[in-house]
Amino acid sequence: MADDFIPRPNPEPSDPAFSLEGQAALVVGGGAPLGRAAATALAEAGADVAVATLRAGATELMRVNSVANEVWSLGRGNLALTLDATDPTSVEAAFARVVAEWGRLDILVNAGDAVQAAPLERIDPSTWRAVIDANLLAPTLCCRAAGPRMQAREYGRIINLVSVLASRGVANTAAYAAAHSGVLGLTRALAQEWARSGITVNALQVGFYEGQAGFGDDPQQVEALARMLPARALIDPADVGAAVVALAADSGFITGEVIAVDAAATARV
Amino acid sequence: MALPDRFRLDDRVVLLTGAGRGLGRAMALAFADAGAAVAGAARTPDQLEETAALVRGQGGRASIIPTDVTDSAAVQAMVDATLAELGRIDVLVNNAGGSAEGDGEPLEQLTDEQWQRGVNLNLTSQMLCARAVLPHMTERGSGVIINVASGFGLRGGRHNWMYVSSKAGVVNFTRSLAVSYGPDGVRTNCIAPGIFPHTEQALARWRGGKYIPVGRVGLAWEMGPLAVWLASDAAAGLNGETIAQDGGGLSAIGPTGWAPVVALEEAD
Repeated sequence: MADDFIPRPNPEPSDPAFSLEGQAALVVGGGAPLGRAAATALAEAGADVAVATLRAGATELMRVNSVANEVWSLGRGNLALTLDATDPTSVEAAFARVVAEWGRLDILVNAGDAVQAAPLERIDPSTWRAVIDANLLAPTLCCRAAGPRMQAREYGRIINLVSVLASRGVANTAAYAAAHSGVLGLTRALAQEWARSGITVNALQVGFYEGQAGFGDDPQQVEALARMLPARALIDPADVGAAVVALAADSGFITGEVIAVDAAATARV
Repeated sequence: MALPDRFRLDDRVVLLTGAGRGLGRAMALAFADAGAAVAGAARTPDQLEETAALVRGQGGRASIIPTDVTDSAAVQAMVDATLAELGRIDVLVNNAGGSAEGDGEPLEQLTDEQWQRGVNLNLTSQMLCARAVLPHMTERGSGVIINVASGFGLRGGRHNWMYVSSKAGVVNFTRSLAVSYGPDGVRTNCIAPGIFPHTEQALARWRGGKYIPVGRVGLAWEMGPLAVWLASDAAAGLNGETIAQDGGGLSAIGPTGWAPVVALEEAD
């Protein structure tokens, strides 16, 4: 090479493939269906997993505790964290705790999914802010806390989970869809910002899934949705967990990507 | 099934075109490592033999089928031979393809024949292979098709004609296969590789990855895990999707490493 450019070091293949043995992961929104699937999948692949709430509610904390127990029963290190991901101080404390426990943070999964739907006339500024805070500010603050910690070790895998509504429109979802589209912008910008730090930032754009608040938790709604989907069924969160592991174990040449886990829902007109 | 096992391909049969070198060879090795038997197709028998020897060298099972994938009858013979020898086809990887004579030339100079050859090489070949394996897959109610496109299937390139058009065709062919045969248990996805130089000259031409956001080029083996994931049950939720593996190239705009700092203007 004629100039002074030094390529980033080449990675080595992981052996066995898709193993996350020895790595530390934090799943924010770990009590919800996708968070639970991500946390247990990461643990099955060998990672120690911290499971954190998105907004620190009592019910959510109970769910997070139960997911942390599942991680424990898989034989991996586990932490259950009460986190308000919309509050920078709370976020900083949670990330510090993970690094204090395991000395590293390799994987961050932003799995929080705060569904809200109403006609725009009924989305007043405070509702808008609450929806944007939970769905967009929260992953932003978590990336912000993860960045320096991952840069310090020149390694990181950030995986943001978003809804198909990030890329398709449904009536009454203006705030929720805007927030999820925002996460795609966040993903692409940070992928570039940290491209030379060994950190990849990708999004999994998940179709309506089993147990999803408002969309996948009412049998009549599920049936109506399933009828119009190519797969005639909602997404199984376990399949999202497997995709999270695939990205977490990736060698680092996939970044800034939005990958649909939607069983062809967005492949069709 | 526990998660690590969902990525395994034990007892599966993978039919892989363009298996003689480069990314095809790397995928063949990864499929074998994941437990699959690999039937490799390509035009050049010598290179196929080398790939098969490498697969067998790591304890894998490989057979080779020299095939011109732009020839409909040859493609049918390839599928028939694979079924005869290995009994089934669980995964088809449409990897064969490349630039054709006339790519890079001004459009006014392009001949009808050059256009046809380029489109046949990258797009028609994938249709022929998919068409030939689908009856077998739909009959069994399961199967996976992986099409290899390119970043140029999602973006344009200067004087790049057949390559961009046929690779864009691959991306959308993938979607229609997914929508049409998903209900029959056949999942179809697509990989769009970025810059994976196969030679020292090519590596030098790409300046070692200077203009790639992550600051390095792709390594052939990195295609392996992605292909194995898409071929495996761990990708059960994916259908019709194209995944770019390009070091962040497609998500970027502007000069490499551009990081502007601009203060928000205050209202006065």
